[in-house]
Amino acid sequence: MKGRIGRSLVRIYAMAAKEGRHIVRDPRTLYMSLGMPVLLLFLFGYGVAFDIDRIPLAVVDQDRTESSRALVHALTASRELVSVGELPDPAAALGAFRKERAVAALVVEKGYERALLAREVVPVQLLVDGADALVANQLLAKADALVRAESQRLATAEVGERTPPVRVKVWTRYNPDGRSAFYMVPGLAAYLLAITAVLLTALTIAGEWERGSMEQLFASPIGRLEIVLGKLLPYLGLGLLEFLLVVAFGMTAFDLPMRGSGFALATLGLVFLLGMLGQGLLVSVIAKNQTVATQAGTMSSLLPSLLLSGMIFPIENMPVVLQQISRVIPARYLVHGLRGVLLKGNGLDVLWPDLVALAVFAVVVIGLATARFQRRLA
Amino acid sequence: MQELHAARGEAAPEAGAGPALSARGLSRRFGEVTALDGLSFEVGRGELYGLVGPDGAGKTTAIRALAGLIRLDGGEARVLGLAADDHAVRERVGLMPQQFSLYRDLSVGENLRFFSRVFVLPREVYRRRAERLLEITRLAPFLDRRADALSGGMYKKLALACALLHEPEVLLLDEPTNGVDPVSRRELWALLHEFVHGGMTVLVSTPYMDEAERCGRVGLMNRGRLLLEGAPPALIAGFRDEAYEVRGGERDRVEAELARTPAVRAASPAGERLRIVVARGASAELARALAPLGATLAPVTPDFEDLFLSRIREEEA
Repeated sequence: MKGRIGRSLVRIYAMAAKEGRHIVRDPRTLYMSLGMPVLLLFLFGYGVAFDIDRIPLAVVDQDRTESSRALVHALTASRELVSVGELPDPAAALGAFRKERAVAALVVEKGYERALLAREVVPVQLLVDGADALVANQLLAKADALVRAESQRLATAEVGERTPPVRVKVWTRYNPDGRSAFYMVPGLAAYLLAITAVLLTALTIAGEWERGSMEQLFASPIGRLEIVLGKLLPYLGLGLLEFLLVVAFGMTAFDLPMRGSGFALATLGLVFLLGMLGQGLLVSVIAKNQTVATQAGTMSSLLPSLLLSGMIFPIENMPVVLQQISRVIPARYLVHGLRGVLLKGNGLDVLWPDLVALAVFAVVVIGLATARFQRRLA
Repeated sequence: MQELHAARGEAAPEAGAGPALSARGLSRRFGEVTALDGLSFEVGRGELYGLVGPDGAGKTTAIRALAGLIRLDGGEARVLGLAADDHAVRERVGLMPQQFSLYRDLSVGENLRFFSRVFVLPREVYRRRAERLLEITRLAPFLDRRADALSGGMYKKLALACALLHEPEVLLLDEPTNGVDPVSRRELWALLHEFVHGGMTVLVSTPYMDEAERCGRVGLMNRGRLLLEGAPPALIAGFRDEAYEVRGGERDRVEAELARTPAVRAASPAGERLRIVVARGASAELARALAPLGATLAPVTPDFEDLFLSRIREEEA
């Protein structure tokens, strides 16, 4: 006769093998876990790009001198801003904003060159369409840098060969081109993993209730923890596959670097998955039907992972209350961990606090799910 | 004591001797509905006990209570001398729920294999039992068919096979013949008798009165309580009312007259005719009242259905 633990393992295996069959036989599960994330990553990765590229710029050059043309050239040389034509006055620029022909307008007033030569402070006006705040902010920063560079050039040219006394040399590490895909893809991976993992398991226990099989299970000697663990295992496997697929896709389609160790990456992914699968179990233990479980699962994973994980909106910029709430969102730790491993080449020696946070979350939700899982039909 | 048992070829009493099933004052409400209202009965070891009653009588709740699957508001359910929700009981009880409770996308063989693993049966034992169960349920040719592609009767037999894999001492069946064709139904009952012969205790619920007659003992349930209990022949022998067929007459007017007469305990259509249960000694007067409508009374032998209908009406009056 097998010992207690041996018998328990057999029952967990029975559950896992059965659940594996459900997965293999249900094309929706496979699509949801493997097809959809890649599709979404593709759409998001290209669509949610914050890189400034070919922003239409209207030019109101009232000075019409060599200096003013040099300024316009300096702004549009990198093709991040593209001149869409000249306008007679600033009022016309506003009209161009409304008609969405331009997002920014450079106004060089008459007397620009003369003031330059007279060594006066020269005002140059940049009008920006602020309707899209994200574009507007990046645009302002970009334009500011370009104008500063131009003004530096003018100053140096005037003073001659003398170097200015202080020169800041900015050197951006890890993502020198500021490519938003590098920033977004780790976040997206965490986000996609979060919603699919929660949904996958949210459906399984609710499914047992709906199909009536819970009655047969409860009448058998299988324990609650055995049911929970047996259900977790196959989805953990599926989730890991999804994780690898998403990261591999990010590396091939978006040139995402992989500077850290695969071990650190896999460990973070595994522990994160455990927590999200556990959250799905908790949802389905409470919901008892698949429709409610789907909605609760989506709401509890999608919104927090999207808004509070730091995937898009930096946590440092959030109000203090939201910063505190984000501490219980597992995606926050995975986003941070993934960026660390992929972009900076960090290992667990640096990222262990993220790992610990993820582990605590996993233990708490799986514990809660098991405790809330009443061995009662009514 | 030990020797005496051994001499009679009986097993020594285990921990938890006593009746196989015991329900004592079981009560459970679901919101406004009282499903169990002080239900009490016992099923001895090796007995085939039928729980009979109309839909909504509380049969399913009673079986779930004995399977330890629901919380009780009051009373105590015991199985093999242990509390019904005791973990040790689960290895020794088999349950066949009323609704679909297996995995639809798994085949016959995969469902069986799953439950054999849940009960941690050694592979050899599983193979031997599955083979025999597939043979007696005649499911062997459908081993690879998905459960959701089985007919109603085949599905029930598969559910029965799954509930029997671990050779339970007690088998609980909730309306096992619901939605099953007559041939499969007869086969199922033949199997139950075979199991009881082998020493198994079987509790079966059914809304069909003809099935009740096949049980060793039956309990009639209505509104969460037991109305009467006993062996079917004894119950019929003790039936004090009389059963008649009403022939002729205009149906509507006859029914109106019957409804007006308190001595008529039950009336139900039997083909063209009406079958009624009348209090003993009240038939002569009823016959006189029906004569002007062109209807006559013909005595018939009372059966189970008459007995139960009459008791339920009496209870509800």
